Amino acid sequence: MVAAMSNSASNSAALAASSWVTNFLERLPAPAGELEAVQWRGREALSRQPLPTRRQEDWRFTDLAPLTALTPALAAAGEQGSWPAPAAGAVRLWLDAPGDPLAGQSLPAGLSLLDADEVQQALGHTLAACNCEQHWPVELNQASAPRVLALRVSAVVAPTLELVSQAAGDDVMRPVRVLLLLEEKASLELLQVQLGSGSSLTSLVIEAHLGRESTLRHGLLALGEGPACFFGHLAVEQEPRSLLESVWASHGWALSRFEPRVVQADGEATTSLKALQLADGQQLADTHSRVEFRGPEGQLDQLHKAIADDRGRSVFNGAVKVPRAAQRTNASQLSRNLLLSNQARIDTKPELEIVADDVRCAHGATVSRLQTDELFYLQSRGLSAAVAAGLLKRGFCEEVLRALPAAAAPWRPLQRLLGET
Amino acid sequence: MSSSTSVGDLVSQPYKYGFVTDIETDKIDKGLSEDVVRLISSKKDEPQFLLDFRLRAYKQWLGMKEPDWAALGHPAIDYQEMIYYAAPRQQEKKLSLDEVDPKLLETFDKLGIPLSEQKRLSNVAVDAVFDSVSIATTYREKLAEHGVIFCSISEAVKDHPELIERYLGTVVPSNDNFFAALNSAVFSDGSFVFIPKGVACPMELSTYFRINSGDTGQFERTLIVAEEGASVSYLEGCTAPMFDTNQLHAAVVELVTLDDASIKYSTVQNWYAGDENGVGGIYNFVTKRGHCRGDRSHISWTQVETGSAITWKYPSCVLQGAESVGEFYSVALTNNLQQADTGTKMVHVGPRTRSTIVSKGISAGRSSNSYRGLVQIGPKAMGARNYSQCDSMLIGDQAAANTYPYIRSQQPEASVEHEASTCRISADQLFYLQSRGIGFEEAVSMMVSGFCRDVFNQLPMEFAAEADKLLALKLEGSVG
Repeated sequence: MVAAMSNSASNSAALAASSWVTNFLERLPAPAGELEAVQWRGREALSRQPLPTRRQEDWRFTDLAPLTALTPALAAAGEQGSWPAPAAGAVRLWLDAPGDPLAGQSLPAGLSLLDADEVQQALGHTLAACNCEQHWPVELNQASAPRVLALRVSAVVAPTLELVSQAAGDDVMRPVRVLLLLEEKASLELLQVQLGSGSSLTSLVIEAHLGRESTLRHGLLALGEGPACFFGHLAVEQEPRSLLESVWASHGWALSRFEPRVVQADGEATTSLKALQLADGQQLADTHSRVEFRGPEGQLDQLHKAIADDRGRSVFNGAVKVPRAAQRTNASQLSRNLLLSNQARIDTKPELEIVADDVRCAHGATVSRLQTDELFYLQSRGLSAAVAAGLLKRGFCEEVLRALPAAAAPWRPLQRLLGET
Repeated sequence: MSSSTSVGDLVSQPYKYGFVTDIETDKIDKGLSEDVVRLISSKKDEPQFLLDFRLRAYKQWLGMKEPDWAALGHPAIDYQEMIYYAAPRQQEKKLSLDEVDPKLLETFDKLGIPLSEQKRLSNVAVDAVFDSVSIATTYREKLAEHGVIFCSISEAVKDHPELIERYLGTVVPSNDNFFAALNSAVFSDGSFVFIPKGVACPMELSTYFRINSGDTGQFERTLIVAEEGASVSYLEGCTAPMFDTNQLHAAVVELVTLDDASIKYSTVQNWYAGDENGVGGIYNFVTKRGHCRGDRSHISWTQVETGSAITWKYPSCVLQGAESVGEFYSVALTNNLQQADTGTKMVHVGPRTRSTIVSKGISAGRSSNSYRGLVQIGPKAMGARNYSQCDSMLIGDQAAANTYPYIRSQQPEASVEHEASTCRISADQLFYLQSRGIGFEEAVSMMVSGFCRDVFNQLPMEFAAEADKLLALKLEGSVG
């Protein structure tokens, strides 16, 4: 009897999930434009594999209820919010601008747009290399993204490129797709700001191919509020002696899921991943990262920090794969979590798979509240308990936030993340 | 000096417990059905409550699927091709060891198990389980003087049915998982230990499991209950002969501690692991769980896993009583094509509960060794603490070491720490030791035993030395 009931409950949930996808697909305009073929593909895939369920290991801790509560439809051009002026030395592109976001802008030296043929050739290549081209959040983006910002980086680009996109208002869907090809010895600092409010859905897919000795410093500031949901996917393929520094900070989304996937194609590359996610209210913040070394002498330094307060839930799953070819890999991963309320919840799961003997791989995870001795020390210096706790929280966040590109400063990430005005 | 020559020589180290005892065995027909469950129960003259327990478990099992999440990739097990009950044919009741079939005694002698009188000086009480039944338990009278019950579980069913009814299946319910349900339906024997209030068990207790028949599954069930303030240290050992076929071993172990009680459970598992091509070997799919029901109670698991083709085992602690303590110390060694997926679950329910996890995995050959653990802090576990450390040592570049630690916390007043590392036996360390005049093999085993020291320190004295030797033997030649 019980089994029959739970069966019918899961059936009705499955039915609701598949009808969410069907309704979503129906609201999309007919495939058109430069990504028509990709849109067809994505829609076909979505109709075949509806929403992921918590029965799938990868989605076990990710309750998609906040997503299924939305009825997103592609919005035309957005409206520019009251954003701070870009930092000196940063070039801002507004991705939701009516028409061409590049209209009236000239790209900094070293950056150029890929032509249609090149886009066709390169688009999805890195996703395939990272083995995630059929991943649900990727298909969601492919089904809906009307265009792609495809850039070639052929030299050291001096200014920071800042990409801003905002999903404001109810029932708005904002898919953003970026493709970056970094040529040998090229270098780019990229800051992405994703803002979401109302019952909106943001879907972000970034693909980057890093040529030999190239450098990509990537910062992502994802700030949401209310019922807004965010899905982000970063796929990076690194060639030898390239450097990837990715820093991501998020707060305020009813549901956020960020999935960095990095493949070091022939090893010898350096990857640094830093993340900070805050979940309070009823929010769910989820990061699923995966780094794969396919050649020797790769380096990974990963730090994932999370704060769960109120009834918030934070999820981290960090896979590191070191196959036999990846001798002399040096990888470290640390997951540090602050659990600040009785009803909040932290799930953290490092995942290391190693088949090479000459490697150094370490990982660690901690979950605790603020340390009482640290609080005591600050209070003994005359600070109130609340101020002391705030200071420690700031310190906890700063370690990640100060790694963001300097161009993030006008957005005042720390104040926004901590809810200070 | 070429170390690779010694690799070849030493990997082929024979499994010295691989002999088969030629003894008349009473087997039932292969296959599993409700009738078989009833037959096993009637062979053992069981009371109605136990038959009902078995039948309920069988029905639950029929509705369950074999788990596939561990991605073990073994061929499907045909549960109808297996014999669920095999017993050496002998007189039902043996009053003294003199009445036990000498062939059986000889078998255990060969395995180094002190059943016979002259070996009893070792002050360890032993329960010896051969295929499906317990053939002898030593030191029973002496233990009975202290009120300690130590016997096979079938005897306990006859002599202490009220204790069995009260505790059996309360820690691992029959529908817990596929293999626990199978075990609950067809379990044949195992050990029962009961330590009454306030008694510290005067000697080490030990059970020795031996699979002899080639087509038999072993489904033993162990139940240990320590009442308020009681304490006991218990050790199990396992071996099996070499067969080309895979045999299934699906055991269930349940531990219960009441207020201030303590149980220390140690395992040295050396089932036949299959040959270097992965032919044969035991599938060791075991459910072990301890329940700290009382305040300040303590359960400690120590395991040395060296055998079995596939091990799938997570000795766990449910820390319910306030200030109860769970510990898990593990060394898992895999060589050739062995797969070990082992770890623990520490479920913190009560306030100020503490747990420690130390796991050492050593993978050699083409084997795969995974640590999979869960630390769960429930909303009421104020002030709970956990510390986990899992280290892997890789020997050779074809072995896999995987680590999957889950941490899930719902209590801000708790702290959880986890750290993990990997290392290897490096050429320069070997060179250093060899330059000091230490032989190659000795150098390797020194490094391995140093790596495992934290765990071996937890084993009862006499077994720590055994375990050290066992690892050295298993590893010989795998370093190159």
